[in-house]
Amino acid sequence: MTPIAATLALTGALVALLAGIGLLRFRTPYARFHAAGKASPVAFLLVAAAAAIETGWGGAARLAVASAALVLTLPVGVHLLFRAVHRTTPRTLAIDELAPAEVRSRPGPAGP
Amino acid sequence: MIAALTTSAFIVTAACGAIRLLRGPALADRVIALDVVLISLMGAIAVRAAETGTTTYLDLLVVIAIVGFTATVAASRFIERESTQP
Repeated sequence: MTPIAATLALTGALVALLAGIGLLRFRTPYARFHAAGKASPVAFLLVAAAAAIETGWGGAARLAVASAALVLTLPVGVHLLFRAVHRTTPRTLAIDELAPAEVRSRPGPAGP
Repeated sequence: MIAALTTSAFIVTAACGAIRLLRGPALADRVIALDVVLISLMGAIAVRAAETGTTTYLDLLVVIAIVGFTATVAASRFIERESTQP
């Protein structure tokens, strides 16, 4: 590997390790989503950049499509999970800006 | 050397995700742990492509990303519906 690709790959692996450690060590579900949902696409982007340097234009095009698919879809999925946890667990947060919005968007206790 | 180190880091990340998948207190923890395992797999595939220079397996990455997203969305809808309609 070229030095730039090696540096990118090692940085991506380090960020992936951080995501795994955060997923394992944090105590609340929100903190775990925060660690896993933000660090892991960054890790994949770094490793994909390293692989794109190594594999030339054909590989770079496929890696770009894969990176776009991941970066566009993963935050949406994590957000939906976050909202599902917020709706189904008792409210224990110190600052909760989602609860008033949920009340506004769902009038009445018998929502959809 | 670099590829072995990077792949080992992704394997450790997938192991962390697997532990959280087995232990996670809520269903949502298991879902996000499965996502992390899938992304570690994607990273390992990319490292393999960077090591060998072959682009054969890179087509899998898009499929894994889309399947993981579909699973996450379906599971989150399932979590919400399960709790609102006992």
